Amino acid sequence: MKILIIEDEKELAKSIVEYLSEENYLCEVASTFTEAMNKIDVFNYDCILLDITLPDGNGLKILEELTKENKEDGVIIISAKNSIDDKINGLQLGADDYLTKPFHLSELTARIYSLIRRKQFNNSNKIKQDELEIDLLAKTVAVNGEPITLTKKEFDLLIYFIGNKNRVLSKSTLAEHLSGDFADMLDNHDFVYAHVKNLKKKLSDAGCEQYIKTVYGTGYKWEG
Amino acid sequence: MGRMKNLLQKSLKQLTIFAFIVFALSIPSYFLLVDWIWLKELDENNDLIAQRIENEFNDQNISDEKLEENIKFWNEIQPVSKIEYTEKPLEEDSRYTIRRQNPYSKDEVIDRFRGLKTNIKINNQNYLLTIETNVEETEETVAYIAMVTLVFFLILVVGFWILNRRLSKKLWQPFQDTLQKLKAFQLNSQKQIDFEETNTIEFAELNATLDKLLQHNIATYRSQKEFTENASHELQTPLAILKNKLDILLQSNDLTEKQYHIAEEMNKALIRSTRINKNLLLLAKIENSQFGNSELIGFDTLVAQSMDGLEEHFNEKNINIGSSIQPDVQVKGNSSLTEVLINNLIINAIRHTSPGGAIRVALSKSGFEVRNSGGQALDTDLLFKRFSRMSADNSGSGLGLSIVQEICRLHGWQAIYSFENGEHIFSVKF
Repeated sequence: MKILIIEDEKELAKSIVEYLSEENYLCEVASTFTEAMNKIDVFNYDCILLDITLPDGNGLKILEELTKENKEDGVIIISAKNSIDDKINGLQLGADDYLTKPFHLSELTARIYSLIRRKQFNNSNKIKQDELEIDLLAKTVAVNGEPITLTKKEFDLLIYFIGNKNRVLSKSTLAEHLSGDFADMLDNHDFVYAHVKNLKKKLSDAGCEQYIKTVYGTGYKWEG
Repeated sequence: MGRMKNLLQKSLKQLTIFAFIVFALSIPSYFLLVDWIWLKELDENNDLIAQRIENEFNDQNISDEKLEENIKFWNEIQPVSKIEYTEKPLEEDSRYTIRRQNPYSKDEVIDRFRGLKTNIKINNQNYLLTIETNVEETEETVAYIAMVTLVFFLILVVGFWILNRRLSKKLWQPFQDTLQKLKAFQLNSQKQIDFEETNTIEFAELNATLDKLLQHNIATYRSQKEFTENASHELQTPLAILKNKLDILLQSNDLTEKQYHIAEEMNKALIRSTRINKNLLLLAKIENSQFGNSELIGFDTLVAQSMDGLEEHFNEKNINIGSSIQPDVQVKGNSSLTEVLINNLIINAIRHTSPGGAIRVALSKSGFEVRNSGGQALDTDLLFKRFSRMSADNSGSGLGLSIVQEICRLHGWQAIYSFENGEHIFSVKF
């Protein structure tokens, strides 16, 4: 899997590369508009992380270029501008997702995971892990072929875990993910515990192995 | 401070008092003048009469006996005049004013008379002639002058009053115009005031000074807001770097539990600074009018969405939630900001309701309302101010309600707080 990171902030790019490399993604970094255009002309990427404010040009131009050349690369815009107009423009120009800085790397990983799966398995997008089967499109989960019912948040949580296999996910990170832009004014993260507990129970009741492990007392990890 | 009066009314009072004093002083002056003219004229008149009488008698050319008879007769028919024979003529004429019974009047009337005593010569004999002519009474003269003066005084005051009314409309019109414009001025609307052209030096000067002052204020305000926006923007990147480095730290294999908890605490603090920064940016953007507010929004849908999303938080605190939401409440505005407004109000209620408390959400065509149970009324002045926390709980960004108020301002809505029956009530009136 090849990922192009178009980001002028060196430290940010470095962190993203470090985190993603562990997932067996092959990462390349372009820190200017020109550099990015050169790479896009020559190579194809599974996913492009695009910062739209670049020192020598607007990232949205890169997006236009990709659409013009009919490139299939998935694009996630990462921007410091939490501007709704930028978001709408970006998505209209063909970006697949939009992430506002600052974000958690686990959030980014989960989004990349979903994006790549969407691009690669257009119609039957199913994730399998031993007895567990998840249909991303139909949003259904089955254990040993038997469907189980999850709430929207539990399903969301499950996908997040799957997208961040073997990673330590802290309670506050999960809380941020579950609340989204919304509700980020609340500091009480205990609701995460309730959701994780319910998810664990539903999975184990259906006979699924316990993949969600508690680490360091309050953190979680999906092992598999 | 007494009763407020406008400027012209105040000057009218002073002018009226001054006019009154002048008119009052004019009454004795006029009287003295008129009386002096009267007496002077009557003295002249008496002189002429005396001359005429002397001539008339001499022209008769009659004998001394006949003259004596005639003078006697004349004295009878002229009760106010007298001709007397005298051995010693007066050294000089005597003039005097006397008050006595008017001999021509049947009633008892005391009148004023101007008299003249002079020497005349008839048939070369010396006679003393006394002539008295009725003069207007002092009091009557004063009364007439006072009456006329009063009439003129009244005309003057009424004239002042009418002029004042017309002037205050016309003359002060540019001032009123400036005043109205200043009243309507809002610093955060960033709109310059166009003052009306005026040819009155004072008003033109006032407008020019105000214009300069406002321009300076607007510029300062703008740069201050731009500063907030730019500063918040610049902070996003280092915050992002910090966050990502922490994410990486969490994945280290040799991380101890103690270190993990430190990292988690750091992340929590980071979440808060990110939130404050985001909210500051949002505030700056709203104030810089970077949001349109003309979409048609289904307010009821947004409220339902927000309550749905926050359900876990209600459950977490065991909060009893009640709602009465009128369907199909459409408002014109900005949907993402409206969403923020609803969320902020409900989250605010969740944060400040003690576990087991109650929250009630109500929506109607006229407004949106969130009530939550609480101890005592909050200080309305501080409530919507930035970073003024009302409780010991400092988990919030301190900006939530300021944002609510700014969003309301942008939409022309009204954010009101009240406290009734142990409930905090935050309402938004459309």
